[in-house]
Amino acid sequence: MSSSRRKTGEKKELLRFLSKPRFRTPSLVIGWDVDAAWLGTKVTDYLNRKLGGQPFCEIEPLDFFSLAGVTIENDLVQFPESTFYACPDKDLVVFRSSPPSYEWYRFLNLVMDVAHDYCHVKELYTVGGMVALGAHTAPRQAWATMGSPEIKNALSSYGLTREITFETPPGGRPTLNSFTLWNAKRRGIPGANVWVPIPFYLVTLDDPRAQKKVLEFLNHRLELQLDFEELDEEIRRQDENIARMRDSDPDIDNSIGKLEGNITLSERESQELVRKVEDFLRTTRD
Amino acid sequence: MTIKLYKQPKLKKPDLLVGWPGIGNIGIITVDTLRSGLQAEEMGEIEPWDFFYPTKVRIKDGVLDDMEFPRNKFYYKRLQDKDLMFFVGEEQPSGRGRMYAEGGKAYEMANLVLDVAEKFGCRRVYTSGAAVALTHHMVTPRVWAVATTKDLVNEARNYVNTVLMSEVEGRGNEGNITGLNGLLVGVAKKRGLEGICLMGEIPDYLSRVPFPYPKASKSVLEVFGAILGISIDFGALDNMAAQMESVIENVYNQFPQEIRERIEQRKLDIQDKHGEITKDDEEWIKEHIDEFFEKEDRGEERTA
Repeated sequence: MSSSRRKTGEKKELLRFLSKPRFRTPSLVIGWDVDAAWLGTKVTDYLNRKLGGQPFCEIEPLDFFSLAGVTIENDLVQFPESTFYACPDKDLVVFRSSPPSYEWYRFLNLVMDVAHDYCHVKELYTVGGMVALGAHTAPRQAWATMGSPEIKNALSSYGLTREITFETPPGGRPTLNSFTLWNAKRRGIPGANVWVPIPFYLVTLDDPRAQKKVLEFLNHRLELQLDFEELDEEIRRQDENIARMRDSDPDIDNSIGKLEGNITLSERESQELVRKVEDFLRTTRD
Repeated sequence: MTIKLYKQPKLKKPDLLVGWPGIGNIGIITVDTLRSGLQAEEMGEIEPWDFFYPTKVRIKDGVLDDMEFPRNKFYYKRLQDKDLMFFVGEEQPSGRGRMYAEGGKAYEMANLVLDVAEKFGCRRVYTSGAAVALTHHMVTPRVWAVATTKDLVNEARNYVNTVLMSEVEGRGNEGNITGLNGLLVGVAKKRGLEGICLMGEIPDYLSRVPFPYPKASKSVLEVFGAILGISIDFGALDNMAAQMESVIENVYNQFPQEIRERIEQRKLDIQDKHGEITKDDEEWIKEHIDEFFEKEDRGEERTA
């Protein structure tokens, strides 16, 4: 017994193709623009910039976002965007989107419709940052959760931590990335969620080191031959800025020093560190 | 969006009893207690993913093992004279951040439930929910009734401990029932099915407190027991009510003295039946209770 809610024309109405690029058996990388340290946006933007990604399909926002007005960030009007980009030379599809406010399942079905029915993707990867209590100088480890034991095996030689056992705690909700992976699994698309820890004091800023960690994995796995010069320069600049800040503020130096020594900060110290790092890095960036 | 039926039993003109969560979880506790007491058998479900966000992901050794969603299940029970069907929904379909379902999703869910009911020959639907009332937590909750036809309204008049909504003091002839427990009887009416909604009273000052109010569920269950001519074991519900009593007393004792005095007066008025709870009283208590909970929400110091 089925309802007729999913109308035949729905896909056509909600997907807007700008062009019809050809792929062989591409991979898909998905990044959401609300993420710790904007990791999803930064990684997908880097891929598009370096690989000449061109938009080819959009999901119409009407059913998935509140369109009661627009949000403004730093005087810039924001509008939900859900766009597929084609990087045909590398047989890669990039999907960069705002996380839908409503109807996750229907939204993800549309993503899978494009990925599976149009692009015939062979595997997909989502990108996500997870808030961590460590220092920015600590070595980063990329984590992965996979849709099947087969892809877990296929990802054995990429330096990912792959043995996570986890259950959403009571009162919590699964992430959009988990829901995406579950949806892909139902559609028979092998995939993985790739997570990188983001130091809590960089969550509202950039974290080029985390970006590089994800990109290195994608570069290796998808044979993208990315050039990391730009990102290395950003890492160097951020390290210098934070080092300068530590020199000029003994409290900050003390707090980061504690984190480097695996000592947990008090709530007050943590809040102070977040505030000062945000203020300082925003000033230097502006 | 699919209905999955595991069994297709032949049923004798079954009535359908439906419960979703709501204020005090009165409806769902009522229906689920009856369902489990009668050991009704599972017969199917509505696939949840189009209606709900997942509630849990389970990852084992790095591999996504399973994702859980709120369950929406159908059950059946054969009785001597009349069979019963149950539908228990663990959540109301989410509607753009609102607490209760409304609009398209709610309407679709209501229709899917009734599609199954009609498929098995059901002609009567009962829902259950909360009636926010100017009552006291030490007073036995009454059951408010509304129905889809005049005949049913007249029938409901004779139910034990039941008042028609229009007969509730100070309510007048109009009212509304929020969420699916209300909408379903509306959709039943549209389809020409008989529909009755039975609502257990919960004191207005507890309607914002996020815990169950089993005392009201028991009142509604007593009505169901009489309607269906079945005896119900209230043991588990009584235990739950006893546990909640102390929780409620705890919350109640944190109300400012002035509010408690007014509420205690209300109890006396209900008990002697001569006094009348005035509109002014209702508004005064509402205003001060809202203020109390807002302070609680802001984490301000309690004034009691």
